[in-house]
Amino acid sequence: MTPFHTTLPRSTRMGAPRSALHSVKKALATGAVVALVAIFFAPTFVSVGSAQDLKKPANFPTRPLTMIVPYGAGGGSDQVARAMAKAMSRVADIKFQVVNKPGGGGTAAIPDFMLAPPDGYTVLEHIDNAVSAYAKGDIKENPAKDWIPLCTTQITFSQVYARNDDSRFPNWNAVVDQAKQNPGELTIANVGKVGSMEVILMYQMENALGIKFKQISFDKPAERYGALLGKQVDLLFEQPGDVRSFLDAKKMRPLLTFLDERPSAFANTPTHREAGAKFKPLMRFRGFYVKKGVPKDRVTFLQNTCKAAFSEKSYAAFNRKKYMHLIDSFRDRAGSVKLIKNSVKIYRKVFKELGI
Amino acid sequence: MEDFLAGSLALFGNGHTFMLFLAALLGGMLFGAIPGVNMLTLGAVILPFTISMQPEHAIMVFAVIYCSGVFGGAITAILFNIPGAPENAPTCFDGYPMTQQGRAGKAIGAAVAFSALGGILSAILMMVATHPIAEWAITAFGPPEIFALIVFGLSVTASLGAKTLWKGWLSIFIGLLLATIGTDPVGGISRFSAWTIFGEPVTSQYATYYLSAGIHFIPVILGFFAIAEVLTQAQNIAEGKRERPKASVQFPSFAEFWQVRITALRSTLLGIFAGILPGIGATLAAFLGYAQAVKWSKHPEEFGKGKLEGVVASETANNAATGAAMIPLLALGLPGGALTAMMLGVFQIHGMDPGPLILINSKDLVWITFAAMFWANVAILFLGWLQTKTVVHILRIPFRWLVPAIFLLAVVGAYALRNSLTDVWVMLIAGIAGYFLRKTGYSPAGIVLGLILGKIGESAFAKSMQLFSYSAAEFLNRPLAWIMILIAFVTLVSSIVGELRKKA
Repeated sequence: MTPFHTTLPRSTRMGAPRSALHSVKKALATGAVVALVAIFFAPTFVSVGSAQDLKKPANFPTRPLTMIVPYGAGGGSDQVARAMAKAMSRVADIKFQVVNKPGGGGTAAIPDFMLAPPDGYTVLEHIDNAVSAYAKGDIKENPAKDWIPLCTTQITFSQVYARNDDSRFPNWNAVVDQAKQNPGELTIANVGKVGSMEVILMYQMENALGIKFKQISFDKPAERYGALLGKQVDLLFEQPGDVRSFLDAKKMRPLLTFLDERPSAFANTPTHREAGAKFKPLMRFRGFYVKKGVPKDRVTFLQNTCKAAFSEKSYAAFNRKKYMHLIDSFRDRAGSVKLIKNSVKIYRKVFKELGI
Repeated sequence: MEDFLAGSLALFGNGHTFMLFLAALLGGMLFGAIPGVNMLTLGAVILPFTISMQPEHAIMVFAVIYCSGVFGGAITAILFNIPGAPENAPTCFDGYPMTQQGRAGKAIGAAVAFSALGGILSAILMMVATHPIAEWAITAFGPPEIFALIVFGLSVTASLGAKTLWKGWLSIFIGLLLATIGTDPVGGISRFSAWTIFGEPVTSQYATYYLSAGIHFIPVILGFFAIAEVLTQAQNIAEGKRERPKASVQFPSFAEFWQVRITALRSTLLGIFAGILPGIGATLAAFLGYAQAVKWSKHPEEFGKGKLEGVVASETANNAATGAAMIPLLALGLPGGALTAMMLGVFQIHGMDPGPLILINSKDLVWITFAAMFWANVAILFLGWLQTKTVVHILRIPFRWLVPAIFLLAVVGAYALRNSLTDVWVMLIAGIAGYFLRKTGYSPAGIVLGLILGKIGESAFAKSMQLFSYSAAEFLNRPLAWIMILIAFVTLVSSIVGELRKKA
């Protein structure tokens, strides 16, 4: 759907009444009903955009860019995409139209992206699921080769959580003891998709410690939180930014961090290495891509814009809220390619061990 | 009470806030009432705009759209046999026959009054007991109970809208089968996504991507109801059988309202119950409300032929579910459906997380939302009464002029779901299939119910089996679950016996 502000040429953005009028005109074309909404909402939207321009290539962009989000409106990916679109429009005065295309664990959006011409006007937001899907053969497109990563702007680690009032698990060691006494009995809510980062990481942990959990596969994140709080399961596997409200409210408590060193905000939680595992943990990461074949100057411009937007105030505040400041959450193009390639290598190795 | 008054004051004391309230109210009603688009479409349209709003405004707007959108869908269900959203499907059963009998005004009047009633009662419940109810719901209802509830729901609603019990069950099973297309809820394995004929692949990579995302119920519902209705009416016109229904604006009398008080109360309770369970929501609420009204009625044979009670049963239940669905969202941060998931996003965009702390940290915001939902339902009563007097006149428009509009909106609605042209094709195919299904006495509503509940049910079943280490006997350790499955079984057997006796 068209966010009306994005289609305004710069010269017409002079004041609320005029831009509202313009919005209404546009909206009338798409239907009187939408117009009604626009009248009420357009005036609140004029302030976005600023002067600080990055060096733009000739004749690019002459219209708003499209950002495809492979997950639903309001979810974690959608939030990153919208926060980034906002920050990028602030630093470089380019406009984005965010389009959600959910389904198939993030694969449903790929056809649209691949069908779009390689002109830099279509940007795809995607997460590490695209990388594991490629490693597994679910998708043909190699995110490091067939796509050009512009930047990665969120990188985060995973943790294991228990209910805060669950006295059975004062710490991670208690979990291991229980798991050893009753192999395969302790339940842990997880994302079940075969070959996903979540499943692989838990598999590596079980292997390293010689323990076995009963992993319960969930398809919707909120259900997992409900299952832990409602005592349907014993433990939860998740990333801290997604359960921040439960941590702040002292409803959940982290027991283990999958990271080489303890991050400052979780100084009292042991890492998987301290718990006796040696592997290099896979990370959740979200980044932005254009298709292979986009002119070089446009790629460079978008890369620079992405980098500038990452440090932009509103985006930085957003990332902080999601605990993304605890580890370095930014990778440029080269860094993103490296991250993707390394991840593909780990996935392939584990898939082989697992016989996937 | 103090909090409620403060919330109401914040809502009406500020001109800007009040304007947004009205805009959301009208927007929800319009989007709900136009087949093809719905409150989800509106939610997606305005999501970018809410970023720059104040948080309490953004949340309030979504909450109000939620209330008025569910109500809006009843109007087209009654006037044209096209439910605005799946939760309005049972409203068609009696609402549309009422229109054909020239009693559209009464049907819409009842829908208005009881939508508002159900909504108001659940809003009150939300205000007094959000937290304890939310805690109870997630503790008492794990995956096994959700699965059992869905089995129960399907068993009591199977015969709705079909000519015979068998065709009802077959409809449900077609829906369940459609629900299995796409990635499975446990391992994310694709099913029915790559087809071969004599070993040669016939699905392109893109078709495979589409199918692994699954068949969404929105294009199916648009096809089954909007397109199939257009085809059916076209045939009637061609055969010279179509009579334009009389546009009556007669509102139901108080005596008529009083007669259905028990049904309304039952549907309110069912609606609230279905609403607070994560992932169940308004659709099952409406079907359950309707099925139970039939079951307890002294004249069950009158249902489906234009009984006011049928409209009341369905509309009370689906609106009661809206307020209730806010309970797990606000108290625990657990969204139950698509629109509440979008609201969670709105909260997070503004740097807030619904959950236990929000009732303490952002009390103002929560209470302005509660107050807005309460008053939105009160406003539905008033605006709906006005609407009854006006909207019925749409029936005066010749159908040949309405058809292109319905067709266009259905196409837009199917496309807008996830910006996919394939969804439009699915809708058109469903439209043609729906036409024949109706002709042959199958229930399109049953298929849609099977499709929606099939996905939730399969996911709940898969999780239950993992929890039980794949031993189904473990269901016996969950009393609530096996009691519901037992009732489902008894219902099934007794309905089969009833059907056989009817024939004999």
